[in-house]
Amino acid sequence: MTDQLFYLDHAAATPVDERVLAVMTPYFSDRFYNPSSPYAPAIQVRRDYEEAKSRLATTFGAKGDDIIITAGATESINLAFVSTSGHIVTSAIEHDAVLAAAKLHDHTLVAPTEKGIVRPEAVAAAITPKTGLVSVQLANNEIGTIQPIRDIAAIVKQERKHRLDSDNHDPILLHCDASQGFGQIDVNVARLGVDMLTLNSGKMYGPKQVGLLWVRPGVQLAPMIVGGGQERGLRSGTENVAGVIGFARAAELAHEHQKSESARLHELRDFMQGELSNAFKQLVVSGHPKKHLPGSLHVSIPGLDAERIVFALEVRGVLLATGSACAANKGTRSHVLTAIGMSDAEADGSLRITLGRLSDKASVEQATAIIIEEITRELKRTGHA
Amino acid sequence: MSKVYVGMSGGVDSSLTAALLVEAGHDVTGVYMKNWTQDLPGMRCPWADDLADAKRVAVHLGIDFKVFDFEAEYKQKVVDYMIDEYKTGRTPNPDIMCNQEIKFKLFLETALEDGAEYVATGHYAKTENGWLLMAQDENKDQTYFLYRVTEDALKKTLFPLGGYTKPQVREMAKERGLTTAAKKDSVGICFVGQIGMREFLSQYVTTEPGDIIDRQTGDVLGRHDGAIFYTLGQRHGLDIGGGLPYYVVGKDMDKNEVYVSTNLNDKSLWLKEIKLSSIHWINEKPADGKYQVRVRHRAPLVECDLRGDTLVFTEPQRAVTAGQSAVLYNGNVCLGGGLVSEI
Repeated sequence: MTDQLFYLDHAAATPVDERVLAVMTPYFSDRFYNPSSPYAPAIQVRRDYEEAKSRLATTFGAKGDDIIITAGATESINLAFVSTSGHIVTSAIEHDAVLAAAKLHDHTLVAPTEKGIVRPEAVAAAITPKTGLVSVQLANNEIGTIQPIRDIAAIVKQERKHRLDSDNHDPILLHCDASQGFGQIDVNVARLGVDMLTLNSGKMYGPKQVGLLWVRPGVQLAPMIVGGGQERGLRSGTENVAGVIGFARAAELAHEHQKSESARLHELRDFMQGELSNAFKQLVVSGHPKKHLPGSLHVSIPGLDAERIVFALEVRGVLLATGSACAANKGTRSHVLTAIGMSDAEADGSLRITLGRLSDKASVEQATAIIIEEITRELKRTGHA
Repeated sequence: MSKVYVGMSGGVDSSLTAALLVEAGHDVTGVYMKNWTQDLPGMRCPWADDLADAKRVAVHLGIDFKVFDFEAEYKQKVVDYMIDEYKTGRTPNPDIMCNQEIKFKLFLETALEDGAEYVATGHYAKTENGWLLMAQDENKDQTYFLYRVTEDALKKTLFPLGGYTKPQVREMAKERGLTTAAKKDSVGICFVGQIGMREFLSQYVTTEPGDIIDRQTGDVLGRHDGAIFYTLGQRHGLDIGGGLPYYVVGKDMDKNEVYVSTNLNDKSLWLKEIKLSSIHWINEKPADGKYQVRVRHRAPLVECDLRGDTLVFTEPQRAVTAGQSAVLYNGNVCLGGGLVSEI
């Protein structure tokens, strides 16, 4: 391993920002109290906690009372799905957490376009009178495509109206898994028009194992975890105060710098795409040319064994993922790449590059040069170049 | 320069094997044999990590890498055999079966069909003109596990580690920057390990509790949870406390009884001669006469007299168990051997 690391896998994990860590640490020691305890220092901790939730909610246009703190996005998604009775509509390119939760119900998977966009019309076509939940991600974790959530929300509203008109009182809700993208694109529950929203602290430079589910007032949920009745009875267990304090700070920082960070990442990503496309004529860039996260770049070279590139690059300090980190571990192909109709040869030759705060111009230039070197070496070795 | 396919398990031995062959100028392809992928209760099967480790080394060496999927055959030829043997009360050795059926048969055949001229593995053994010879490192010698390999297979096989000791192998792997240099060795059967055998068998065999009986007094000392889990000479895991340690001296599979004794000299623990079955000689059948024999991996080599399919030990041997292998040597040449039949 070299000394210098080039981390290009921000979609997998982000480091906890030092400003986030700084505000968390007192809550592990001096302010360790249980927020439910009756004495003054504990009551102060409760206030800090509620205040952090409120600040956290504000970053995406919501109220603190309407969020349920969970141990990460997977739990948030499970909580959103568990109360649903009836049919579920979701997309074929959701995260495994959504797909697995959907499988527990009668469900329909909507196929994306070849560019990885979930079309609102396709969602509309999949909705039945029995549909209780529609769930579409804000942005894809593999190919980075940004989904038209606002338009999908309009479809759901239309269906709701149609049901009222036809005396069908079964509710239909829209959940959005916004684990990817916060801090890179606008995330606001009112503008998105969703009924439930999942966010993940660990993907926005906050601590891992903290997430939230925002629920529009009036939506009834049932708890998965019962006990002391914390989080309005929807998620019992002593509050993760330090985690939430950190999550709130992380969200504030991400929200505050979203526009400049977005522009910065866009430029770095486009530079990389340009360099790689110049170096390899056969390079395929997947996803949508415009509607993608600023820091996401998914490239494929048909015939290349991308896993070899990942292993060759790790030795040189460049850390990135094959098409999908989870899928690679299981030795199976990515369901996302399959869903957008990618051939096996292309899928196996896919690299996912996700830039973030650890990426600056100099390091991206260096990393790009190293990636080109290693891919070239491998193509020569296998007689492809 | 030859085209060599190396079985790469993701461990240090096979990693260095591949490295040495590359250095010797061969056209090397690394192959991960996907034999078993299932988790067991309380045990995660590390196959995906091992596969990634093997591939990392292949990438580091700049060689081709393939995965051969032998899961179905491994289950049938190795695992089912092992379970059947345990069911009949014997103590099989799945590593020997794996070498016979998978590594030096299926892997070899598949590699040759794929264009290989030789296969190589990280076994500590040597081979010359179809002979199987003990490794330089006697402590690490693995010929015991290889005695059922054929002469034809050996002629197509390279064992580059035969001349090295394990510490040397680790050192050489480290010098070459192989990421597996410090990786822990797998123990016993690759996928289960010694401790896990009981849990593993419990997945496939229904067992009934039965009596543990003192052979000397006939007293019932306790209960066991299935006679198949016990093997001759075993001391631990009997859960009968107090006084001198008890040893398993026999079992009756039909009655589901396990017999124990504190008498280290119990006659069933010490055998003067055994009958061999499923005999396999690597080269020509050796003439009757004096040889050395090993009755389990790393057991000392002891003198014996081969008389047809009977093996007479010069000194009685302890805890020779039905189903295990007796492997014969003439000096450093491994001749082959057979399974210890019912005693």
